[in-house]
Amino acid sequence: MRKFKIPIVAVLVAAMIVLPGCSSKRAGVVVYASEDQVFSEPILRDFERDTGIPVKPVFDTEEAKSTGVMNRLLAEKNNPQADVYWANEPIRAEVLKQENVAAAYQSPGAEGIPAHFKDPQGYWTGFSARARVLLVNNSVAEKPKSITAYSDPAFSGKTVIANPLFGTTTTEIAALFILWGDEKAKTFLSDMKRNHVKISTSNGESADFVASGESALSLVDSDDGANRIKQGKPVEIIYPDQGDNESGCFIVPNAVVLIKDGPHPEAAKRLIDYLLSAETERKLAASDAAQIPLHEGVETPAIVRKIENIKTMQADYAAVARKMREIEPLLKQWAGL
Amino acid sequence: MNTRRVTLCAALLVLLILGVAPIALMFARSLSVNGAFSLESYQHLLATGRSWQLLSNSLGLAMITAVICTLVGLPLGLLFAKTDLPLRRVFVLLFTLPLVIPPYIMAVSWSDTLAPHGLASSFFGPATTQKLSGLLFGSPGCVLVLASTFMPAVMLATMTFTRTINPRLEEAARLSARALRVLGGITIPLIWPGVLLAATLVFLLALGEFGVPTFLRYQVFAVESFTQFTASYNFGAATAAAVPLALLTFLLLGIEWFALREKIQPLRPASESDSNYHVSLRSYRVPLFALVSILCAIVVLTPVLSLLLQGGSTQSYLRAFRVVSDSLMRSIFLAAIGATALTALGFFTGYLIHTRGLSIWRAVDAGTVLLFALPGTVIGMGLITLWNRPATNFIYATPLIIVFGYLAQYTALTGRVTVAGLTLVPASMEEAAATVGANWMRRLGLIVLPLVKHALVAGWLIAYIFCLRDTGIAMLVYPPGYDTLPVRIFTLMANGAPSLIAAACMLMIAATVLPLLGVAALVRTQRRRRLWR
Repeated sequence: MRKFKIPIVAVLVAAMIVLPGCSSKRAGVVVYASEDQVFSEPILRDFERDTGIPVKPVFDTEEAKSTGVMNRLLAEKNNPQADVYWANEPIRAEVLKQENVAAAYQSPGAEGIPAHFKDPQGYWTGFSARARVLLVNNSVAEKPKSITAYSDPAFSGKTVIANPLFGTTTTEIAALFILWGDEKAKTFLSDMKRNHVKISTSNGESADFVASGESALSLVDSDDGANRIKQGKPVEIIYPDQGDNESGCFIVPNAVVLIKDGPHPEAAKRLIDYLLSAETERKLAASDAAQIPLHEGVETPAIVRKIENIKTMQADYAAVARKMREIEPLLKQWAGL
Repeated sequence: MNTRRVTLCAALLVLLILGVAPIALMFARSLSVNGAFSLESYQHLLATGRSWQLLSNSLGLAMITAVICTLVGLPLGLLFAKTDLPLRRVFVLLFTLPLVIPPYIMAVSWSDTLAPHGLASSFFGPATTQKLSGLLFGSPGCVLVLASTFMPAVMLATMTFTRTINPRLEEAARLSARALRVLGGITIPLIWPGVLLAATLVFLLALGEFGVPTFLRYQVFAVESFTQFTASYNFGAATAAAVPLALLTFLLLGIEWFALREKIQPLRPASESDSNYHVSLRSYRVPLFALVSILCAIVVLTPVLSLLLQGGSTQSYLRAFRVVSDSLMRSIFLAAIGATALTALGFFTGYLIHTRGLSIWRAVDAGTVLLFALPGTVIGMGLITLWNRPATNFIYATPLIIVFGYLAQYTALTGRVTVAGLTLVPASMEEAAATVGANWMRRLGLIVLPLVKHALVAGWLIAYIFCLRDTGIAMLVYPPGYDTLPVRIFTLMANGAPSLIAAACMLMIAATVLPLLGVAALVRTQRRRRLWR
């Protein structure tokens, strides 16, 4: 018996390692999520409870700037492990479409969501959005109304913006390049720099700078602003460029993607329908995510403005995705990275 | 072919499949654009004009970190191993703590400490704290975080290697020289190869680190590689950006081989009894105690206390345990499996290198060190490229892939510790056994393994720490629903409650320290039993 001891232990250990993974391949639905785990996990648990379909999630990390699972999806393209990608903005979803990783699916849940928040062919569908807002410290007497406040000498040395190489800041700058044209956008970036804008590591850090009074204002995601207000910080959220002749506020919806040739397509479609429902949007609006429902008429807390009450920038997210890749060297240079 | 050669070739094959093949695939990918051969990734890297700046920053950061770790870790190791400094065992434990925490978390902790309402502002006031916070973001901050995190490696190596010195040499010197002169003239030169080994390790760790420089906004090649992954999804360019790290690693290995060539040290195996040469500090005892306490307070207690305080009440810790217990158990299990596999593979690669068992022993050494120095993201992407196929789903879709990643990146650790252990075993012992007809397996089991068991235990513990704190590989390849604790901490860092994150970090420290204390208690019990007999 003694001589079999080591092989038996080795087999048991191997089984303990391998079996959990094997079972995850057989049943349920595999979702890769760039949306923060603290917000997405409760929704996925509710889906499990309501449908009985087990969910195997892979969440993104802050360290990887929420691009870890995106890289993984691209690397796994030839043998997809994921069924669904829950992106926290539509650009990555658009990149997946361009890279032939996404499959088209017109979900019944997408009805009622405005057309410019969806891919026309159904490769991705937007839901529960963040708005790019100006977070302004209460000590600022005359509140800015436009993102051009960054180039206003009155705010010289008092503004902060998240690293433009990552996340929603990159997306918004790319959208501005499309909206304004390259020359005007480049001038704006130069003016910002001349106005001594500070670069932070994330929107959350920018919001903290404004909350502490270290900076007067910053472009942040609306959830960052809402959280600082909930924490009782002396800040105000301003939806920029809401005037008649102004461009409107840039909206960043979550986006859900059906992965092409994923292992569990039927369960994946049920999860997508669930995520796109008005009920999920209501939950995400009521949670700390403070996200704006894209279905009209969904009940929201007072701190979350309804989409019908916001003048939104009409962005073509596919064009923004292409522009982002184009301006990346410029942004690197601008940020000194 | 004899058993020895077959076994060493098998170890080499494992290393080639798990470590070299994924990197070779990534390298091949960096040489192709749209399926055709192209040097575009490298041309782009050289054309940007930033390469020299990145090279200078990478080299500077790694060198300064290694030098500071050596200048601080060596004296501390000597103080704790060779003197009667009060509370030295407590200090060893405290100074080791930063090594078990992922450096990125240390950077975040320092940032929180120096934030406008952080721990530092209540001591120094907002104005000074703001200045310190300004210094944190940039090269000084990177050096502070990396040096305080990696310094224990040099300290522990110093302590381990001082136990291998024959005390008679120091005692003989002590007859005609002062204690300080004995340390400088006998002890330090004898332990220098071990210290250099640890300094090399620190240099490589600092060179491949991307989390801290990214967070503290300091441009190095590891960040460039990471940015190519994250901002551009350009795997080829990301790999190309890691190639200078490989070149720097080879340069370092060349220097190391030159510095240590043909050095034979009069060492002895680590003693079972505590018969080491000790120095009495006398009047220096109190001042040195104060100095070490201040250093400990600044580089260890400040960031760790910041985490502990943020963790909050016992309820917070219980809540954190409930949230992360699955990941914690998985991490401990995988780290234990990984450390065991690494100890086995490290033993054979170390044996191969030490005995020059195959003609390519130098390439094996260089290869394992190179894999250790590469950013985890590059290895992770290589593992996906190699193993994510329908035929190998039983590996890729299971936690085995994480263990494979550990073996790919960390074999250098256990391999080199084995080499250090084997240098203490006289070759004549194995030769004598061979003369009387003992086959290789028998010699290995009855002579070599018992004599290097201390090195193997040390290697297992080091491997356990590195597997437990790994994020670079785990976050890219962990199977769905099977995350590890560091990955869970990082995913919670995005908008998770700071108290939950801090409490999870403290649980991770406990998960690392408890097995170390367990092994220490076991060793002590065995020693007592032996003395009793």
